[in-house]
Amino acid sequence: MPNDRDREIPESVTISFELNGKLVGLQVNAAETALSVLRDRLGLKGPKEGCGIGECGACTVLVDGLAVDACLLFAPQLDGRTVETVEGLADRETLNPLQQAFLSHDAVQCGYCTPGMLMSAKALLQGEAAPGRKAIVEALSGNLCRCTGYLQIIEAVEAAAAQECTGRDAKE
Amino acid sequence: MGDRPAGVIGEKVERIGSRERLLGKASFAADIDLPEAVHLVAVRSERPHARIVGIDVSRAQHISECLRVFTAEDVPGRNRVGIIRKDQPLLADDKVRCIGDPVALVAAETLEAAREAAAAIRVEYEDISALFDPEEALRPGAPLVHADGNLLGRRTVKRGNPEAAFKHADVVVERVYTTAHLEHAYLEPDAGLGYMDGSTLVIHASTQNPHYDQKDVAELLGLDEGSVRIIQAATGGGFGSKLDLNVQGFVGLAAYLLNRPARMVYTREEAFLCTPKRHPLTIAYKSAANRDGRLLAADIRVVGDTGAYASYGPAVLNRVALHATGPYELPNLFVESVLAYTNNPTAGAMRGFGVPQIAFAHESQMDLLAAALGMSPLEIRLRNCYRIGSLTASGQELTGSVGIRATLDAVAPQYAAAVRERNGTVSGHIRRGVGIGSMMYGIGNTGQQNPATAHLELTLDGGVVLYSGAADVGQGSSTVLAQIAAAELGLQPEAIRTVIADTLLTTSAGATSASRQTYISGNAVLDAARKLKEVLLTEAADMLKFDRAKVILEHGSVRAVRDADRSVSFAEIARRCHKLGMPLKWQGFFDPDTTPLDLETGQGVPYATYAFATHVAEVSVDTLTGEVRCLRVVAAHDVGKAVNPQGVHGQICGGVAMGIGFALMEEFVPGQTESLKDYHIPSAADMPEVIPIIVEDPEPTGPFGAKGVGEPALVPTAPAILNAIADALGVRIYDLPAGLERVLQAALSARKP
Repeated sequence: MPNDRDREIPESVTISFELNGKLVGLQVNAAETALSVLRDRLGLKGPKEGCGIGECGACTVLVDGLAVDACLLFAPQLDGRTVETVEGLADRETLNPLQQAFLSHDAVQCGYCTPGMLMSAKALLQGEAAPGRKAIVEALSGNLCRCTGYLQIIEAVEAAAAQECTGRDAKE
Repeated sequence: MGDRPAGVIGEKVERIGSRERLLGKASFAADIDLPEAVHLVAVRSERPHARIVGIDVSRAQHISECLRVFTAEDVPGRNRVGIIRKDQPLLADDKVRCIGDPVALVAAETLEAAREAAAAIRVEYEDISALFDPEEALRPGAPLVHADGNLLGRRTVKRGNPEAAFKHADVVVERVYTTAHLEHAYLEPDAGLGYMDGSTLVIHASTQNPHYDQKDVAELLGLDEGSVRIIQAATGGGFGSKLDLNVQGFVGLAAYLLNRPARMVYTREEAFLCTPKRHPLTIAYKSAANRDGRLLAADIRVVGDTGAYASYGPAVLNRVALHATGPYELPNLFVESVLAYTNNPTAGAMRGFGVPQIAFAHESQMDLLAAALGMSPLEIRLRNCYRIGSLTASGQELTGSVGIRATLDAVAPQYAAAVRERNGTVSGHIRRGVGIGSMMYGIGNTGQQNPATAHLELTLDGGVVLYSGAADVGQGSSTVLAQIAAAELGLQPEAIRTVIADTLLTTSAGATSASRQTYISGNAVLDAARKLKEVLLTEAADMLKFDRAKVILEHGSVRAVRDADRSVSFAEIARRCHKLGMPLKWQGFFDPDTTPLDLETGQGVPYATYAFATHVAEVSVDTLTGEVRCLRVVAAHDVGKAVNPQGVHGQICGGVAMGIGFALMEEFVPGQTESLKDYHIPSAADMPEVIPIIVEDPEPTGPFGAKGVGEPALVPTAPAILNAIADALGVRIYDLPAGLERVLQAALSARKP
């Protein structure tokens, strides 16, 4: 068994990034994960740890608009980026259309996968105007859920996408 | 009564708890920060079976941030836990019985220090020969996992004269089926937090049964129950695993002995290593029918591996035996179900308590008998399924809410269409198949009392508070209970405030298991609501000087039936009751009507009601790669009454997903499987189209006719898929999971002339 006491003391780094619209700066341990910085240092408990190895997607956050597993990202990699978590979706207590679609489609059961699901769905909807079912399934296939069987989640994302389309059309 | 509001029972309602989960604000146990909390890490056995010669903690104690190392000697009370049998030490004392057994517990200021200290602890073992096979464990002279023998239990069910019936049968089919260990793979790894609040130990736990946790933690620590308070944190799925203690004993021990908050969060690897699994079973199934497809007899022998500790094994043992026939009449029957201790991981409760495994066998047998008789799989089920007046395997007469036939009828058109479509689809190496699977499921614990209590309180401002000990682990019980209370009291569910699963504030509702909370807690809530309603009507009639029979409850008021202006609000009634010194809180109680089973024959009334279901699965099988795609599942469920239909759909779709995993991909190999990297559960991409069909054959004793659906949702899927694979290939698979290799092998054997 490797002796943990022999390892070098990791360097600490100062990073700053935009988090849910606000600039934050802090000193992080170079070996710390982005997930632990978000949860333990910045107190954002929305992103969850489900496996720690990028298999379950419960920790999904958006970094520069892309859905990533925060458990696989080192904290220093957040420097200079734009980071969004589930906490940034609602306007205070008012759910955004995607969250509202999850609510009305009963897409939440235990809710542990929900923050990650929402962020993966958001990344998709930002990148694609009218994703079909196939694209939605693909976008969510890195987020595991053991309760719902996914279908109500997929339907919620479809509904949110349709609503976004209608909204866009109306604006144009 | 005409005062039941529309839009409550059977309507779409907002699920309690969803909003906070969508905002990322729900507090799961690992989300609760308490300054000063120490971090706990367990030192776990790497040996399957060994005597503990010594534990050297000296190196750990030199790590500056390590506060304390606990071993068995530090447990102040009874160092044994277990819901049915107290056979599992919190910390191993004399020996370890499986890989992952906790030997010591480290408390440190940081998680890193706790891990470092745990790694520095040296345990000296003396190996004992280990058992990994239940049949071997039952042989005379086998090493003992527990001092009183390796047999966890044996259940027999006997009816009629199977031997004689087999002699006169037109067809007899005899096969052996096996299933694997499965991991629950709930998304939230087990976690908890404990602290002292004065002289009370408070634990926030990820749990399915806070009132059981309270008892076992109190006994571990030598405290009276009132000194331990369990509060269910938001719980990220359980599926049976979180019925056993996970971290509660550890955080309780550390918080109590150190008088400091203590937290413990399992890694996914740890959750895989040391929480219970689904029982792997070997099922030898012989059944017979006469020429017109009537079942005559069955002889069913089941041997299962319960692993190192009892957990819910005894419940699985009983349930497997009583559900071995499926939803079919069998006048001549012998069932023997045996579970043995081994040094494998403990197997416990997992969604269905052994019924998914036995359903795979009984549904395969039905198709085999049908094939032997040249009969359609649907037809043989229709000819044998339970109806009013049928006697079950335990000799229980079914007197109402027997919806199995209705579920078969409900899927029949889709089944016929799927068979036509399959016949029309010919595409080289891709074969199409259609399969059917049916099941029954007894609601509640088997042949024993399993009551629930609940309270409803009328507050002075006219509000209604529902208190229930029923843990909602994502299945939606809180919402259903609020709907039931609301419906009885003429309110909307949002008007009911809920206080759930806190042992200080709520009384026991029993476990969230056995698909029992809608039926049993639902009835307890209804009982409390009726009492409250009685008071509201009586007091209002008096206040309004109006005939009591002619007042109704509506939107938080009681009013005269034909005169809406003549009304009095709940608040006014509450204030009056308060002034008169009357209580404002009412208890409800329900215990299903069951009888214990005869020890020898297994006869009795084990359940007060049964749920029924039939699934039709359509698959495509790639005969070159062994890949099976499940394309569509039509899932008809008799739930008595769907209190929350959207929630029922959610249970069905989730059950289908878990059934696909059970059928095609999931296998936990003890000593090998480590985490989600090598244990694959279905993803969004694995899901077929699911068409849920709710069948409502009301249960006369159910709240508004409701029964349950949590476990039934999963049970028929795998049998339907396996029957569909057999339909596609013409060759049957008898061992689960039907992974690529097994399917490919079956495809190859089908090709042989």
